[in-house]
This record gives sequence, structure tokens and C-alpha cells, in this order.
Amino acid sequence: MTTETIIQSLASGLLMGLLYGLIAVGLALIFGLMDVVNFAHGEFLMIAMYATFFLFAFFAIDPLLSAPLVAAALFVFGALIYLLIVRFAMRAKANAGMVQIFATFGLAIVMRGLAQLLFTPDYRSVTHSWLGGKTVSIAGIFLPEPQLVGALVSIAAFAGLYFFINRTDFGRALEATREDPGAVALVGIDKNRVFALGWGLGAALVGLSGAIMAVFFYIYPDVGASFALIAYVTVALGGFGSVFGAFAGGIVVGLVEATTALVLPPSLKSVGIYAVYLLVVFIRPRGLFGSM
Amino acid sequence: MTITRRDVLLGATATATAALMPLAARAQTSEVVIGLTYPLSGANAQIGVDAQRAFETAVDIINKDFELDLPLAKGEGLPGLGGAKIRLVFADHQGDPQKGRAEAERLITQEKVCAVLGTYQSAVAVTVSQICERYQIPFMSADNSSPSLHRRGLKYYFRASPHDEMFSAAMFDFLDAMKRKGTKIESLALFHEDTIFGTDSSNAQLKLAAERGYKVAADIKYRANSPSLSAEVQQLKAANADVLMPSSYTTDGILLIKTMGELGYKPNSIVAQAAGFSEKAFYDAVGDKVEGVITRGSFSLDLAAKRPMVGKINDMFKAKSGKDLNDNTSREFMTMIIMADAINRAKSTDGEKIRDALAATEMPGEQTIMPWKRVKFDEMGQNNDADPVLLQYVGGKFVTISPAQAAVAEPIWPMK
Repeated sequence: MTTETIIQSLASGLLMGLLYGLIAVGLALIFGLMDVVNFAHGEFLMIAMYATFFLFAFFAIDPLLSAPLVAAALFVFGALIYLLIVRFAMRAKANAGMVQIFATFGLAIVMRGLAQLLFTPDYRSVTHSWLGGKTVSIAGIFLPEPQLVGALVSIAAFAGLYFFINRTDFGRALEATREDPGAVALVGIDKNRVFALGWGLGAALVGLSGAIMAVFFYIYPDVGASFALIAYVTVALGGFGSVFGAFAGGIVVGLVEATTALVLPPSLKSVGIYAVYLLVVFIRPRGLFGSM
Repeated sequence: MTITRRDVLLGATATATAALMPLAARAQTSEVVIGLTYPLSGANAQIGVDAQRAFETAVDIINKDFELDLPLAKGEGLPGLGGAKIRLVFADHQGDPQKGRAEAERLITQEKVCAVLGTYQSAVAVTVSQICERYQIPFMSADNSSPSLHRRGLKYYFRASPHDEMFSAAMFDFLDAMKRKGTKIESLALFHEDTIFGTDSSNAQLKLAAERGYKVAADIKYRANSPSLSAEVQQLKAANADVLMPSSYTTDGILLIKTMGELGYKPNSIVAQAAGFSEKAFYDAVGDKVEGVITRGSFSLDLAAKRPMVGKINDMFKAKSGKDLNDNTSREFMTMIIMADAINRAKSTDGEKIRDALAATEMPGEQTIMPWKRVKFDEMGQNNDADPVLLQYVGGKFVTISPAQAAVAEPIWPMK
């Protein structure tokens, strides 16, 4: 094992990790806001990837340009999902937790089925894009441009999110609603509106990652599943509900995955992630940045 | 004459019986139900959808009258069963061996199928064929290629197409031939997924490499449907073997090629164990990056030049699916014909009789759409006369490059 291999592994892991973080942050945001785990998170990613693909296939819009469009579309989609489904699921008098799980889990199955029906199960790819297949090479270390740009977008998105949550009125309303949904009603904040915007924001962030992923990943109705699993681990690792825990969790997952593959056979590379996760659960059950 | 109520009842019963008699008699032979288990949802759903079209094409040819030199093409239905038509029942196993087991059981007990075909993933064929064995219903692998499948002592297991040892032997025959021509091929890198298909394939290749004196520079087993393959590709790159030999399904195949491009890895040649490397979706996604890739196959459209029937059947399939027949769909098509032929000769839908008829199959290669010598099963249910071919992807289509008797072009080496 040469130094070059190690650096390359760490670099690849870091880039992937930043993307994992961006994928996971929507999940963390929604959970932190209202204690609902969105089991359709992977399917949100799938929809975003398909949206990017269709914008490319029909209008020849490069994924880099369509990313804001996809994010906006996903914002509307996420808000609608809250207003039409989750809002009602949350009203359940008995076993509210279960009802929420089944509502979003059922949504995932419906979305997957609809995607297979409407888009066929065939594998799609964005065949030509500005970034696709391009690589920056520095001293023998290869940094694929799609992942590189993805990492930059991820950092920018987290910076924006930080500003948004800490510096804007809506961000404060988000925080306040999360602290005490009952009390905010007294000061005139519409809980449903805040929740809907939270879902929209969470979905928009997945939309952003989906648009970038579409450049270098294949697209099919089940594509969300493997990423969703990593997103759940990322969120649990970083701390449920902590937006910046997702950022840190993503980086940890990416790096651990890459370094595990250096020492263990690659087929076992996810073992490292779950081992670290278990360790966190034992030592710090609320996750690295969790505040529960 | 007075008509009593009793007479009316009697008369009605008689009429009803007379009317029902032919129906009941017909019901026994009018329909032969064959079960198919495929991934119709999940990661490989498209494979299942394409398989449906292939089987439907075969059933069309059997159930209707066609002028083709293929068993059962002429005339309608199965003559051995009084012209009975074949009906297909598809079951979705989602690529999951446990679901495959449950679906096979349902096909046999609820749908009353007299034979089961499947399953694409070899891992699923393991469980499905066990269930069929228990119910004494013949199972035929259409597109499973793991060599361990026919070595489990099952009486009701059959496979007309080659398995991965035969395929791998054909690859090494080709490599040997290239070496004799002076091409430098010393080291190989194996890259395979972690289910029975990938592991069996790499075991066969490891054994052949040792026997024929090739150095295995890397043997990388990866987790199927991984979100990222960069660590794996990096190890392949570090090994820098002369030939890369992947055994991957479509999703991983696409990601492999994309990641190789991103990490600046370009082997002299890729010789693939088909699967993903036979699929249109793979070439739609990364075809421009793999000009000159070589894959094994059990089918070659080049055969249409010698055997016009192949072209005609390909057109029929294309009308249904929008795709040319490939390695998988051709085997699926042929398997249906072979199974129907056996049922026809068995003159029965009884599992044991069909099994015996299958065991007695002797179909010359000219009556198939494959480049095979013939279809004849050994005592383990494997057809050893199914000769594989190697195909090279050149200018957007496949050309046959090996073995010599089937080749239509010289191989391009190294690939571009």
C-alpha cells in the first residue's frame, strides 16, 4: 500500500462523505423539527434524479443548471407531502409514532411502484454533461469533477443552511417550533406552515444532491434504497435532529468506508460504517452532535 | 303425454351434462400452464420485463402457426396434447431467494403450473429449484449460469445453456489463442459481485488461470449495488493487470466503467462474464467508454446470416420489446421452446413425465437460434453441447470474434 493509494482513498472518501452529508441533511432537518423519520427519503432522492434525467433528456438542460430547478420542484413536492399526508398522519390519537412510520413507509412503496410504472424499471443515465467523466488530477491523485462539485455544493448548502437557521426569522421560527410547538402557537406562528416549509427545505436539499448524483450514478426506481440506508446511519451517527451532525456524520461515513476498503476486502467496506455506528450507540447514544 | 317435474329435471340435468362434457374434456388439454419467476421489481426489474417479452415471443410461435425450422413452430399449440395452448404465469421474486421460494410454491400449489422457468439471479434459482424438486415439477434455468446449480443432485433440474465454467473456459481459450498470436497477456484482474453468480464465476476463473499459467494480479469481490466503487477501482488500478474480467450485473457494471473513467484507469482489454455487459441499458449509459469490450455470450445475431430464422425471430422480439435479442433474452426464448417440446413429447402435464421427456431431449443445433451443437442433457440436467461465443462491442454493435468456427471478425486488441 503506497502513500498515494492512502491519499487517494481519503480524498475519494471525503468527497463521497460530503455528498452523503448533503443527502442525509434533509432527513435530519425533518426529524429535528417534528420527530418524524421520513422513510421515503431515498425515494425523494430517486424522484430528484429522475427529474434531472428528464430535464436532460427532453430539454438538454445540464444537471448543473437544472439543480436549482430540481431543488425548487422538490421543495414544492416536500411541502405538499407534508400538507397532504404527514399532517394527517400526525393527528393520530393512538400509536402516533407507528402511524407516521407507516405513512412515510407506504409513501416510499407507492413512489417506487409509480416510478416503475411510469418510467419503466430500465436504467437511465445522463450520458453527456459538463462534468460527467471529467477528472482533476493532482500529483497522481484523481478527483472526479462531479464529486468535487458535489462536495463544494454540499459545503455551500451547509453554510447557507447555517446562515438560514441562525440569522433569519424563519430559521428562528423553525428552531422555536422545534423547541416547543405549543408555545409558538401563542406568539402567532403557524405550526403547519413552519412544518410544511421544513419538509420543503428538507426535500429541496435532497433535490440538490439528486441532481448532482445524476451526473455520475445510474438512475432506476430503486436507486434510493442504498443511499437512504447510508443516510439513516449518517443521521444517527451525527445525532438525530442535528443538521450539522449530518454534515459531520457524512464525512465520517465517507472516510470510514474508504479506509475500511483499504484494510478489509471491499465487499466488507460497509462493515466499518456499522462498526463505528455501533460504537457511537454504545458510547454516545444520542450521536456525535445530538442534543436529546 | 304429461310432463312431470321429474322429467324436466332429468332433461335439464342431461342437457347440462352434455353441454359440460366437452368443456371438461377440453379443460384437461386446452391449456398448459408454465410458471416463470423473474425480478419484476427491484434493481433488476428491467431484466424481468425483457424476459417476459422473450417468453411471450416463444409462446406466440408455439401457439400460432409459423413457417420456421423450430420445434412446435408449425401448427398451433402442442400437437401431443391435442393442440393445447401454452399460458404463462409470471411471478416477481425481486431478486430475493426467499421471495423466490415463496413464489415458486405459490406457482405450483395455486396456479398449478406444470413447469417452472427462471430466474436470472443464480442465488434465486437455488431456492426455486429446491421447491420444484420437492413438488416434482421440472425447473429449467433459462439464464442462470452458476456451475454449482446442476451439481446438487436434483432430479428435476435442467439447464440448456452453458454455465460459467464453460463460459470461462471459452474466455481462456480465447486468451490462449491471442497469446499464441503474440499478444502480451500475463496478468488478469478479477472483479466480481458477492452473490453466487460472482463468486462461482471468479472461482471458475481462478482455477482456469492457475491451470493455464496466468497471474491473477487482483481478485476483488465487491458488494452488489454499492453506492460507490472508487475503493475497488483504485485496487484494480494499482494491480494494473493486462485484462480486466468483471462479473457484474447492470448497475454495478455502469458504475464500474464510470468510476474507472474518473480514476483514470484503462486496462488493455475487458473480457466480461456477460450479465450487465450484455444489456442495452449498460451500453446506453457507458457505451462510448467501452468501445472494444469483449463479453462472453450464448447468442450472436451474426448467426442470422447463416440461419435466417434467427433474424426473423429477432424481428418478432424487437417488435415487442424495442430491443435486439441478447445473451439473456435469447436463452429465455430458447428455454421456453425446449420446455414446450418436452411437454409435447410427454403428452402430459404430469411433472414426472415431463421430466423424463426432458431427459430424453435431443435437439440438433440447427433447430435452435443458438450457436450450439445440440441440446442434450447429461444425468445432472446440464447440456454440455451448448458452445459459448465471445462477442466484441465495435461501433455500437456486437461482432462474434471467437471461437474460430463462429467468428466473423478479428478481435481488436487492445480495446480503444
